[in-house]
Amino acid sequence: MLSKPSCCGILLVTAMFFGVASVRADDTPAEAKAKAKLLAQQKAEAEKSKRDEGKNTSASIAIRVVMSAAANSANVVKRKVQTEKPKTAEELKKEAEAKRIEEEKKAAQAKAAEAMLKERLAKMPTAPLTKKIDEAIAKKLEEEKLPASPKADDAEFLRRVYLDLTGVIPNVEKTKAFLDDKDPNKRAKLIDELLASPVFGKHEGDVWTKLMFQRLTENRGIRVDPLREWLEDRFVQGESWDKIVTGLLTATGTQEENGASTYFLAALSADKMTDSISRLFLGVKIECAQCHNHPFVSYKQNDYWALAAFFMKVRLDGNPKNPNPKGRVPSIVEISATQGKGVARQKNLPEAAKFLPPKFLKGEQANVEDKEPLRPVFAKWLTEKENPYFGRAWANRVWGQLFGVGIINPIDDMHEERVPSHPELLDELAKVFVAQDFDVRFLYRAICNSETYQRTSIPVAGNEADRTYFSHMPIKVLTAEQLYDSLNAVVSVANLGREIPKDKAAAFAAAQKRGALTARDQFVAFFDAGETQAISYESGIPQVLRLMNSPQYARGASLVAQNLTRGLAKDQAIEKLYLTAFSRRPTSAEMEKMTKYVDDHPTDGFGDILWVLLNSSEFALNR
Amino acid sequence: MNFIPPHSRREFLRIASAGALGASLSGWLNVLAARAAESKVKHKSCILLWMDGGPSHKDTFDLKPGTADGGEFKPIKTSADGVEISEHFPKLAQLMNHGAIIRGMSTQEGAHGRAKVYLHTGYKEGIGGLVYPSLGSIVSKELGDPNFPLPNFVTIGPRSYGAGFLGPKHQPLDVADPARGVESLRPLVNESQFQNRTGLLEDMEAGFYKQYQGTAINDHRTTYQRAIRLMECKEAKAFDLALEPESGKKLYFPNQPAQSSEPARKGGGNNNNNKFAESCLLARRLIEVGIPFVEVTLGGWDTHQNNFSRVKQLSGIVDQGLSALINDLKDRGLLDSTLVIWMGEFGRTPKINNRQGANGEPGRDHYPRAWSTVFFGGGIKGGQVIGKTDAEGATVVDRPVPVIDYMATICSILGIDYNKQNETPIGRPIRVVEKGANPIKELL
Repeated sequence: MLSKPSCCGILLVTAMFFGVASVRADDTPAEAKAKAKLLAQQKAEAEKSKRDEGKNTSASIAIRVVMSAAANSANVVKRKVQTEKPKTAEELKKEAEAKRIEEEKKAAQAKAAEAMLKERLAKMPTAPLTKKIDEAIAKKLEEEKLPASPKADDAEFLRRVYLDLTGVIPNVEKTKAFLDDKDPNKRAKLIDELLASPVFGKHEGDVWTKLMFQRLTENRGIRVDPLREWLEDRFVQGESWDKIVTGLLTATGTQEENGASTYFLAALSADKMTDSISRLFLGVKIECAQCHNHPFVSYKQNDYWALAAFFMKVRLDGNPKNPNPKGRVPSIVEISATQGKGVARQKNLPEAAKFLPPKFLKGEQANVEDKEPLRPVFAKWLTEKENPYFGRAWANRVWGQLFGVGIINPIDDMHEERVPSHPELLDELAKVFVAQDFDVRFLYRAICNSETYQRTSIPVAGNEADRTYFSHMPIKVLTAEQLYDSLNAVVSVANLGREIPKDKAAAFAAAQKRGALTARDQFVAFFDAGETQAISYESGIPQVLRLMNSPQYARGASLVAQNLTRGLAKDQAIEKLYLTAFSRRPTSAEMEKMTKYVDDHPTDGFGDILWVLLNSSEFALNR
Repeated sequence: MNFIPPHSRREFLRIASAGALGASLSGWLNVLAARAAESKVKHKSCILLWMDGGPSHKDTFDLKPGTADGGEFKPIKTSADGVEISEHFPKLAQLMNHGAIIRGMSTQEGAHGRAKVYLHTGYKEGIGGLVYPSLGSIVSKELGDPNFPLPNFVTIGPRSYGAGFLGPKHQPLDVADPARGVESLRPLVNESQFQNRTGLLEDMEAGFYKQYQGTAINDHRTTYQRAIRLMECKEAKAFDLALEPESGKKLYFPNQPAQSSEPARKGGGNNNNNKFAESCLLARRLIEVGIPFVEVTLGGWDTHQNNFSRVKQLSGIVDQGLSALINDLKDRGLLDSTLVIWMGEFGRTPKINNRQGANGEPGRDHYPRAWSTVFFGGGIKGGQVIGKTDAEGATVVDRPVPVIDYMATICSILGIDYNKQNETPIGRPIRVVEKGANPIKELL
């Protein structure tokens, strides 16, 4: 009943988006030949799927449109295909069957987890913290003499909470049901429904995968999906944050054996691990102390390298640039000693590297034997309830995720010189999170139920300039992932009026397993603005051109509009387009304007309207 | 109506460029007329050739032959008296009378990310909690014409650094692949339908902004407006390399068969000969229609391993593309008004390290203390070397150039007041270049 397109649906759409080659004039003969072959295969496949699909003509047009659009994104795939031996039909069938069984098993587990989480959420004692949040925010607003904006209406809240907790806008049915629901408790109910659902876990997994895996030249060839799957599973199952992090930090083995080992495979030297771990789990950026003493803060170069010492024993087995399926698959091991004869140092360490005994950040030296593995010792220190950093790092990040700005900013650079907007509140959030045994859902539930979170983002007289005290909800920019998923929830197979052929999904899953980039990966790479504030719009002209003029969204808008509005009266049709793209009904002024527009432009008026909605600020932003 | 009076060609062109004649002129005349109109560009321009990863100064423009870690390359004489550069820049050596080598670069950031930000913006990353504009955005702001239909800052290759607090108006337009130009530049629907759509969109945007305010909404709207303007303008043709005449292509790809409409290429990024040369050609086309700043990236300089074979290969790529660019600008009378900068984020260690690469060759590591950059054109006094490093290329012994001096020098060459203060969105005045800068006078 949740709106995120089913896993299968996403797979299918992406399969269609990327699995298409085009032959270019400048291809080398070998390339051209390979492409021509691929093209012929694809053509046959497309023909077949067209036959399968029957009489739905508008949809088959859409598929062709979508396919031609994907021509430019085919290069990456093409190279993969060339190097792979083609699989026999038997093998493909076997793979698909194994995948299906695996997916069914996972779905059953997710269902059980959802039921368990529903019970847990029903008893979750978040109300006192919710109250404290609102009191702390109100107190500061009073001090600063800032008026608070009123409560957001249902539609604003609905779209916001869906994007924040699931990463995608709600579908039409869900939207209508929520807007028409008279239950005064419907917001709290929706929050619990979303938090218990596997879609929340998947979204968290997606968000953290991105934070944990930075694509570098030295880790090309390492697949990212094992990490995503591992994280998704943990979040879906309701595992606590300390356990998840311990699993990540102590991981060994290949990606196949343990998806968590991807975290280290992607950052293969002690300094990179130290940078990532301190930002993500300690909430501090100490990387400048790598080469010199930190200019503002009391981190010294020695503090940095003493912390890095915990990761000096991590070694790679195999080649991450070119994993050979027949030879050694890249795998993570922790060796027994850093010193002594025949022990090579880690590769790729910077010149400034120092080799010191391990010491916790601003803490005492670790009491360890040289032969002992060090990462478990570090993980234990990190996730101890007394650790002052771990809970704060999570609390500030969750706040930042929900409000676009943290209580301290940048959210992962908390140090003495940075003044928190609400210091006591941050302490309280961290304290309660730790006391609740690091339950991932606790702070989300407490914050989302607060008046502060449920305020409108429309400013009132006197608080327009406020960017710090949460007098109104900051307007967040959709991340590249949220934008892709939301666009494709509108320009979707379902909205094109089409069924999902199973064989396509299976073939796509097989390709992804080989490490091919998905259309989503490519979209994200193109739209991602890097590490920017969630509240600033960073897309440039090329991104906007693609949204306006690429076949999948420009022509797609017309086709979806045609399909969605077929047989509806004008006002119903316009309402449906608004519910689909904006998750709200049009105002009467909008209805009047759009009706007139459709009267004036009878040919593709609805297509124009949907195109406009998809290209508007209201779609690109989370208000 | 098509009667052409028997004037001299010069006179004819004058009239043609003044727009006195209709569109019925023959093709070549149109091209010439357009060029006469283009030379209206008043400001100076800049092409930044960004050598990503940090090129080894001792193996490119500051050779130390005969010393312990001098490496295996030999210096060669150039067209500038007493100026020697690496043997792997033979074509460039013929043009050094137009160039100046800064051998005293001395910066402080030795990690890629921070050093790139520092050398692009002149400010250390994160200082004062601000995001600073990169050089291209500064030029866009200070020299760009706000009514120019094209963006005033274009990057070719991977994404570079953006406008920071100057806002999205000064964000670069990224061209990922020069051979492809700007993607999705044409609407899929016919022109009148596209206009209907954008008209309705603008209407909605105005309404949403009125209610919610918020800078993100305004920035979104501005970006759309700029993209729509770009789609509609005739100057956008400059992005299409296929429109370049054969004579122009020949200069950049001398080894290509003349009938090839697009140079062949393999691999990604700008990291191959033709891709870099293509980017240089595109940069020249963009400068010619009035875009004041173009940045081209050539990656692969982070030579921790296999330094010598890789620097040799990259030098060949630079030699071909950069020499073609300088000659082309010179032929078109654009060299004096176009500053071409060759630089990376730092130099590399004077000592050769012991990290044997795959084929058993060592490399050099990051080194910000002493390194080199090179300028060509832009009206500088060419044929000289500024500054000097010691025998090992480890310390600057004459005219050290910190980042602020370097930025101030570029600003001065381009005619930008580097002491000017720009305001951040919350009204904080920030200098174009941090206080205390001392531009290199010998160049001006």
